[in-house]
Amino acid sequence: MSETSFPVNDLLRRKLQTSLVVVALALCVASTLFLLVFAGKIGLSVSFIVEGRLTAGFSTVFSPFVILVGILILGVGVVMISFMVFMMMSQRVRDIGLMKAAGCPSDLVFGYFLTELLIVAFVGCLLGVVLGVAGDSAVTSLFNSMGFRIPQEPIDVWFVLLVFAAFFILSLVVGIKPAFDAARVSPTKAMSPTYHFGLSKEHGFKVVSKSGFVFKIALRSLFRHSSASLRIILCLGIVFTLVTVGVAGGVIANQTTENWVEKAIGRDIAIIAHHDVCVNYQLLLSSFYEGEKRFQLNYTDQRYAISENLLNQLRFALGNTSVDARLIIEAQVNEVQGYTLGDSTQGTMLVGDSRTGLSLIVGVEPENVLSKWFLRGRFIGEVETFEAVIGDTLAHKMFSTPLVQKMKAFNASFDVVGVCVDPVNNGNVTYVPLRTLESVANVSRPNLVMVRIDRSTNGTLDRVKDLAAAADPEFEVVELNEMLDRSMGFVGSVWSTVMFLPVFSLIAATLCLLGYVMLAIDEQKQEFGIMRAVGANPKTVINIISGQSLLVLLSGYVLGVAFGTIITLIILVEEPFVTGLTVLEIAGWLLIALVTMFAVSLYPALRFARKPILDIMNQS
Amino acid sequence: MRNGEFVVSASALCKTYQIGDLKVDVLKAVECEVKENEFVAVSGPSGSGKTTLLNLIGGIDKPTSGKITVFGEDLTEKNEDFLASFRCNKVGFVFQSYNLVSTLTVAENIAFPMEWLRKDANSIRNRVGELLETVGLQHRVEHFPFQLSGGEQQRVAFARALANDPPLLLVDEPTGNLDSRTSQQIIELLQKLQQGGKTIVVATHDERILSLVDRTLCLEDGKLMSQDE
Repeated sequence: MSETSFPVNDLLRRKLQTSLVVVALALCVASTLFLLVFAGKIGLSVSFIVEGRLTAGFSTVFSPFVILVGILILGVGVVMISFMVFMMMSQRVRDIGLMKAAGCPSDLVFGYFLTELLIVAFVGCLLGVVLGVAGDSAVTSLFNSMGFRIPQEPIDVWFVLLVFAAFFILSLVVGIKPAFDAARVSPTKAMSPTYHFGLSKEHGFKVVSKSGFVFKIALRSLFRHSSASLRIILCLGIVFTLVTVGVAGGVIANQTTENWVEKAIGRDIAIIAHHDVCVNYQLLLSSFYEGEKRFQLNYTDQRYAISENLLNQLRFALGNTSVDARLIIEAQVNEVQGYTLGDSTQGTMLVGDSRTGLSLIVGVEPENVLSKWFLRGRFIGEVETFEAVIGDTLAHKMFSTPLVQKMKAFNASFDVVGVCVDPVNNGNVTYVPLRTLESVANVSRPNLVMVRIDRSTNGTLDRVKDLAAAADPEFEVVELNEMLDRSMGFVGSVWSTVMFLPVFSLIAATLCLLGYVMLAIDEQKQEFGIMRAVGANPKTVINIISGQSLLVLLSGYVLGVAFGTIITLIILVEEPFVTGLTVLEIAGWLLIALVTMFAVSLYPALRFARKPILDIMNQS
Repeated sequence: MRNGEFVVSASALCKTYQIGDLKVDVLKAVECEVKENEFVAVSGPSGSGKTTLLNLIGGIDKPTSGKITVFGEDLTEKNEDFLASFRCNKVGFVFQSYNLVSTLTVAENIAFPMEWLRKDANSIRNRVGELLETVGLQHRVEHFPFQLSGGEQQRVAFARALANDPPLLLVDEPTGNLDSRTSQQIIELLQKLQQGGKTIVVATHDERILSLVDRTLCLEDGKLMSQDE
C-alpha cells in the first residue's frame, strides 16, 4: 500500500462521511465568502442610503445588525470547520490505534491522515469558493431584478484566494491536532474503551421506564463522545444565535421600524394643499426610499396659503382632532452650542460646532398633530413656544448632543426638546410651533393640511375633495396610504436581506448535525446490533439516535435562542415594538428551523435502522 | 433424549452470503429438529456454519432458502417487529464475543431486555438481583463491561440472556475465549440451566460440554453430517 493510495482509498470507502465533511466545509467557506462579498455590497448600499435613502435612525438600527450577523457568520464558519475536521479525525482514532498496534510507525500513521485532511480541506475549500462566488452573483441578480440597487461588480480574485487560503489553513490547524494527539497516544490507549468512551461509575442501580432507558443511553452517548458533543452544541448554539438575531431581530426590528414609519406618516391620512406643494411633499416623503428628487419651491407663495375658511370647513366636516394644519418652509438652520455635564470633572462642557445646513422646517399645532413619531426627548409643548423637535438625520449630521443644544432659524433661537425618526425629507426636518414659525418667518397662513379620513363613513374623502376644490381649483387632496405602504415595503425588503443571510449557516449546521449523528451511530453500531439481537425493535434504535440528536439540538437551540434574544432586545433594538403576533412569528420561524434540522438529522438513523442485525454487528 | 414437542424445526435450510461477486454457501440444506427441554450441541470446525445456524434459529438472520420454524412460528415469513418481540420473549442469546452494551452497567445490561417488555421496576430489580446471584456477580452490579474480565462478561451475557426467562437458550462458543477455570464456571452454569428445564442449543468444540448434552449436531462445510446422541 503506497502512502497516497491508502488515504484516497480510505476517503473513498467512507463516501458518505467524506462527502458530508466536504459539503459542510464548502458551505462554511461559501457562506462566509458570500457574506463578505454580498453583504459588503449591502454595506456599501447602507452608506449610500444614509446619504440618500433611509434616515439615520433606521441606519443606526440596520448597520449593527449587518455587522453582528457578519461576525456571527464568521464565527459559525470557524466553529463548524473545527467541528467537521475534528469529527473526521476522531472517527479515525481507533484506526490509528490499530495501525500502531500492528507496527505502523507514528509518523507514517500521522502522514496518512494528514494527507486525507489535506485532500478534504482542499476540495471543500475549493468547492466553497466556487459556491460562494456563484451564490453572490445569483443573489445579486435576483435582488436587482426585485428592484434593489445592488452593484454587480467583478469579483476580486486576490480576495477570493485570500478567503480560500484562510479557510484551508484553518482546516489544517484545527484538523492536525486530533490526528497528532491520536498519533501520540499509545495503541492500547487508543483502542481502550475507557479512553474512547469516557464512562464513569454510576451511584446505584435504578430501574427506569423504557423511555427513560432510551434517554439514559442517549445521554450517556453524549458523554461518551463529549468532545464532539460539546463542539456540536457550541456550533449549533452560535448558529441559533445567528438565526435568532437574523430572524427574531429581523422581525422585531422590521416591525419596530415599520411601526415608526407608520406612526410618522399615519394610516388613512390625506394631504390638502396646492398642486405644487402636494407634489413636493410626496417627493419629500419618497426620498426615504428613492433618494432626494424634489424641486425648489417658494413655500411662502401666497397662492399656497390655506384659508381659515377652508380649515374651519374641514374641522366642521371631520372634527377638530382630525385636522392638522402645517406650514412647511425650506430654510437654513444653525446649530447652537450648548453645555452638558462632563464625565470626570463633573463640571460643564461645551458641545456643538455651530454647523449650518438646509432643513425642512415644519410649523405644527402641537395639540392637533396627527403623526406619532418615535421620539427621544419630548414633543413641543405649546403653540407659541420657541421649542423644536428635529429629525434623526438632521440630529446626526448637525448636532453633537441635540437635547442640550439650541438651533437657530430665521434669526430665532429654538430649544431642541426632542429628536424624532421621520421619513419626511429623509429625517432632515425640524418641527416648531406653527404660530412661532408664522411669526419668525413672517408668513400668515399654513400651506398644507393633513386630515384623517374616517373609512367607516362613506364619502368622507369626496367631501374633503369638494371642499378643497371649492376653496381653490388648484388645491389637491392626496391620500398617503400608498406612500406609507411603499415606505414600509422598503424597510421590510432591507430587513429581509438581513434575515436571508443566516440560511447558508443553517444548512451547513444541519450538515454538521448529520455528521454528528453519523458519528454517534458509528460509535454505537455494535451496541445497537446487540440491542436488536436481544429484542429491541428498529423503532427503539431510532428513538435512541433521535434522542441524542434532539439533546444536542435542543441544547444548542436553548443556548442560541437565549443569547440571540438577549443580543436582539438589549443591544440591537431600543424600545422594540413586540406584539403577540411578533412573538408567534419568531417562534414559528425558529421552530421551523429546529424541526427541519431535527427531521434531516433522522435520515442516518432511518437508514441505519433498516440494516439487518448481522450487517450491523459485523460492521462493528 | 427427553420426549416433547419440537421447539426448533429446520427443513432444507440454506444460507448464502454474497461478498462482492463471490457467493459463499454457509449452510447447505440443513434438516434438524430440537425438542422441548432438549440440550443440543452444534459442533464442527471453524467456518462450518455453527453461528449461522444459531442466528437463523434466533431470528437474527433469515435463510436464503428453506424453512425454519421455532415454537411453531415460521421465522422466514415474519417481519422485523415480530422477530424483535420473538427474540425478546422466547430466545436468550449468548454471543461468542459477549456483546455487552459498553455504556450500560452490569445491572443495566441485564435489565434492558426486560425493559423492552415494559415490566415494572420492582420485578426488574428483583430479577436482576436474582440473576446476579445465579451468575455470582452481585459485587459487580455497578461496573461497566470493560471493567470486567472475559469470564465475568460471559456470565453477564448469560444473565442477560435469561432475563426474560426465555424457554430457548442459544449459546455460541461459551468457553471459546476463556481459561479452563472460568470455562468450568460457565459449564456449571449451563448444567444448572439444563436442570432448570430450558431448551438449550450450544455451538461448541468443548468436550466437557459435549459430554453433557443430549445430542450433538455435527456440521461440516455447511452440511449436517450426523446427529449423534
